[in-house]
Amino acid sequence: MSKPTSLFVIFFSLFVMSEAVFEDQVGKFDWRQQYVGKTLFAHFDSHSQSSKKLFLATDKNIFASFNSRTGELFWRHVDKAGPEGTIDILLLHGQGDNSGRLLRSWDTNMGGLNWEAVLDTGSFQAACFVAMQDTVKHVAVLKKAAISLHYLTNGHQKWVENLPDSDTVQYQAVYSGGEEEVYVLGVVPNSHLTIIAYSLEDGEIIKQVTWSRTLCVVVGHGVLMCVDTATLALYVDTLVCNRLYIPVLVSSQPHPARSPISEFFLQLGPDHHVLLQLNADGYTIAPLRDFQPSDVFPPQLYVHAFLKKDDSVGYRVLVQTQDHALTFIQQPGRVVWTREEALADVVTMEMVDLPLTGTQAELEGEFGKKADGLFPMVLKRLSSQVILLQAWLAHLWKLFYEARKPHGQVKNEVTIETLSRDEFNLQKMMVMVTASGKLFGIDSKSGSILWKHYLENVQPNAVFKLIVQRTTAHFPHPPQCTLLIKDKDTGLASLHVFNPIFGRKSHIAPPALPRPILQSLLLPVIDQDYAKVLLLVDDQYKVTAFPSTKNVLQQLQEMASSIFFYLIRSDQGNLSGFRLRKDLSTERIWEVVLPTEVQKIVAVNGKRPNEHVHSQGRVMGDRSVLYKYLNPNLLAVVTESTDAHPERAFVGVFLVDGVTGRIIHEAVQRKARGPVHFVHSENWVVYEYWNTKSRRNEFSVLELFEGTELYNSTVFSSLDRPHLPQVLQQTYIFPSPITTMEATLTEKGITSRHLLVGLPSGAILSLPKMFLDPRRPEVVTEHSREENLIPYAPEMPIRTEWFINYNQTVARVKGIYTAPSGLESTCLVVAYGLDIYQTRVYPSKQFDVLKDDYDYVLISSVLFALFFATMISKRLAQVKLLNRAWR
Amino acid sequence: MWLHVRLSEVCLFLQAMFILACCFSDMESGPIATSGSVQPNGDRFKIEGRAIVPGVKTQDWISSARVTVEGEEYIGFLRTDGSFVVNDVPSGSYVVEVISPGYKFEAVRVDITSKGKMRARLVNFIKTSEVIRQPYPLQLRSSGPHTYFMKRETWGWTDFLMNPMVMMMVLPLLIIVLLPKVVNTNDPEMRKEMEQSMNMLNPNPELPDVSEFMTKLFSGSKSSSSKAIGGSKCQNITCTSGLRNYCNWSCHGNYNAIFKKSFFIRLYNCFLSRVFFPLSNNPRVCTTLVLCQF
Repeated sequence: MSKPTSLFVIFFSLFVMSEAVFEDQVGKFDWRQQYVGKTLFAHFDSHSQSSKKLFLATDKNIFASFNSRTGELFWRHVDKAGPEGTIDILLLHGQGDNSGRLLRSWDTNMGGLNWEAVLDTGSFQAACFVAMQDTVKHVAVLKKAAISLHYLTNGHQKWVENLPDSDTVQYQAVYSGGEEEVYVLGVVPNSHLTIIAYSLEDGEIIKQVTWSRTLCVVVGHGVLMCVDTATLALYVDTLVCNRLYIPVLVSSQPHPARSPISEFFLQLGPDHHVLLQLNADGYTIAPLRDFQPSDVFPPQLYVHAFLKKDDSVGYRVLVQTQDHALTFIQQPGRVVWTREEALADVVTMEMVDLPLTGTQAELEGEFGKKADGLFPMVLKRLSSQVILLQAWLAHLWKLFYEARKPHGQVKNEVTIETLSRDEFNLQKMMVMVTASGKLFGIDSKSGSILWKHYLENVQPNAVFKLIVQRTTAHFPHPPQCTLLIKDKDTGLASLHVFNPIFGRKSHIAPPALPRPILQSLLLPVIDQDYAKVLLLVDDQYKVTAFPSTKNVLQQLQEMASSIFFYLIRSDQGNLSGFRLRKDLSTERIWEVVLPTEVQKIVAVNGKRPNEHVHSQGRVMGDRSVLYKYLNPNLLAVVTESTDAHPERAFVGVFLVDGVTGRIIHEAVQRKARGPVHFVHSENWVVYEYWNTKSRRNEFSVLELFEGTELYNSTVFSSLDRPHLPQVLQQTYIFPSPITTMEATLTEKGITSRHLLVGLPSGAILSLPKMFLDPRRPEVVTEHSREENLIPYAPEMPIRTEWFINYNQTVARVKGIYTAPSGLESTCLVVAYGLDIYQTRVYPSKQFDVLKDDYDYVLISSVLFALFFATMISKRLAQVKLLNRAWR
Repeated sequence: MWLHVRLSEVCLFLQAMFILACCFSDMESGPIATSGSVQPNGDRFKIEGRAIVPGVKTQDWISSARVTVEGEEYIGFLRTDGSFVVNDVPSGSYVVEVISPGYKFEAVRVDITSKGKMRARLVNFIKTSEVIRQPYPLQLRSSGPHTYFMKRETWGWTDFLMNPMVMMMVLPLLIIVLLPKVVNTNDPEMRKEMEQSMNMLNPNPELPDVSEFMTKLFSGSKSSSSKAIGGSKCQNITCTSGLRNYCNWSCHGNYNAIFKKSFFIRLYNCFLSRVFFPLSNNPRVCTTLVLCQF
């Protein structure tokens, strides 16, 4: 039974949408950039001089291999996100990587796994390679209460020993100097040191030494330092208790089989390092150089020194700076490459139209201004035409000039100066906000970073909201973006106002915000400089307007009674609506309480303000019209049950009117749990959840209709809608978990919609909304066929042809941003997560522009052939007529 | 044909039944009962398997591939020989997938009981309790590279010629034109033989014959063309309409040639009517109409 239907669906889908990428379009409209995140460990492949491999382990739980010449990725392994995938240490000797509870060894050439060993539970302390006679054969792993030795070849455990007195002694370091012993260093705070030497063969304790403090000396700045000749270990402790910074020792052991270099760094403060040397007697330490705070030390520095052919010392340095930029520097201080690893954690983004060129602006200005007489208008028109002609000639000359040059030299470098809008507005500026507080301006066509701006003093747990206050449409006013930065703990916020095209900070002073901010909303009201007004609501429900000129305040007073907003308190399960008063205070007008003992609010989403809906209704098979319920104030509230038991867990979806607080619809999905991903648009809500009973992911779609008659077709008012909408719902099985979901967006909303679904495999699926239509019939009728409804099939298809990013997977997709372009058929898509991928999608194919594969040769040859055929046949006809006349 | 398909279906069904029976016999505690709930202190197990891409070296694809268990809940990496182990998995039921941007692999559902007994079965999201056994440790064979791209719609002569309608029209035409030149019809014995076979092929003599019409058509056209040269006479064409309308052409020409042609035309007419239109009620009408259109 299901087979014919699915066949039919496939057959149908083949006809309805053949939206996919063609092979020759690869890289034409799309690009991908891969990132790894902030480096935690880095190693140079030092086995051969010519090796260009570089190994990194990052805070995003990624282990990657880079080309050190270009900074490109060879391969990358993405482990589980979150604390379970954290990489504790990365050791390198041909191969080796060590991760949390699992010990993994990697093949550095192929990027494949050699082996993986499960370690016993216990918090990880240290690990090192153990070498014998210059060959590395074992890995020692020190846990809180045990030490284990593994074979390097296969990962099998050679022995594991419990550490004596592990509840009192803090074991901190493990060391092997190439002999047949493994030393473990333990500290009993404020008492003594313990050093245990284990036999490499069977893990027997050979000797156990306890060092009292007599050997320790006080080095300047109140730092206690203890040294031990047997292990070459150094123990540091602060005598001054109120010092916040714990000194850190940085030493270097170039080869596991040999002793570490006797010179080492002691980091005394965040920016105070001392280079020390252990003297030959093994007891005294001589300071070599003191790096005072004036010597700038970046957060992390990885130096690879090597002997060149002429026996001079060469070096390569990998610098990780505070803004997560990774720079590779070679000998004469030359920067070889820089990677902006901050882009591995994009939080939010916006796309801003590029500014018009001078000539375009001139033309626009002509239409914008009021008419001042016939003659000046004609003059103006003529002058603008001349300017256009000039521009065209200049363009032609440039083309000609470039054609004469050899091919390789012609390069279309995109710079901020040459940026201008293209004729279909397909090229835009992507403003990306990263978690590290660095802002980027990226050209959407090429993916090159045009500007970057690092915001200092941004808390690591800050929340960002990017608002476009003024677009580029209001020449000569520059476009304006505002970034709201909010500290998650205190709720205190600050504003950063900047020009999104050039990245420069605006001279407009943002208002001071002394109180925590609860909600921000962008009003359609504009001030005299065409900037939209941003309202910020603080915890005393007072409203601050930005910009707050007299003009704006006056407008706000006039409109106050029609400005409503809502607040969510998910910890109290409280959703409340407010209205603005004339004096910019607020009054609460409604409140919905969802008891927190039963369920918690997970997400609330309204519709996108720049969304257009072209058709008011749907024409049914019997020629009647089913009108959509298009409430611009509708909020979709998703809740999850607090009870996680699979039998009792549920997911709730509430549709609430944001003005009146009326619950329009309520859908509860039993035996379901999150994470819930949902899209709210037009008259529909699509959400995805996990069905705990059948253990599968399911998509559900809610569509709201007013019925066959509109109540008030001219204007929608939440206060005057007596009838509740008709709600249709259908649910489908989705054969894969998903990570994020977004709907396509076009200029006028004529194009059919697709859902862009980010899958954990890194693919982005473009799923036609047609498949998520609650009116899909179980039994095909004449009417449904006429409406082009696909018959209902329980399982949603996933076809690889629908992957808009083909094999360019985007690891850990966190968000998908869609923006309309100047063409109705085209929607710009940016997927961001660990990687950034930009492309265009055509949900209804390219109906308004000739396709890029349009066959000009064929059509012109046919035209010419027809033309000549008519000419010839005309001639022939003439000859024939003449002959007949002679007969 | 139909019978064959049926038979194979029945075979499949029987096989499925058999497997089902096997499963029932060795199933002790249904992993469905644990229902995916994870005990925090329960034992942890490992899922083992091996992924193979036939004809491709492992080093070309393993660096970009990984093994995911139930989305990204547990992750394993592929060894250099294509085998994998996903460690630290509590008991439950999981969908195990090898994800590679280059090659497609079928997902497998792995059930782990609380005692650590494992079994692998096909993923079926509709009938979730259906068990079709798969080998464990998992043997995942890639069914080839992903098809991400659509074929361009190109216009070529081959596409045009390979169109079934065009083929149906052009092939008989070629045969009509070429075959008479190959077979010698002047031999009287041969002619007799042909006539006999023709009668056999054409069981209904009272129906007006298409082939005759075709002969007339072709000879007519030939004669009309010869008219321009030699000025021989050819009469008008009368056409009647209706379901069985045939254009009746009467024309005088070289009768030998006509006969020669008529035979082959008849032959291929019949061939057409038997091969191409086996389902239509009146094959003759059908062919005729097609040829008439032509």
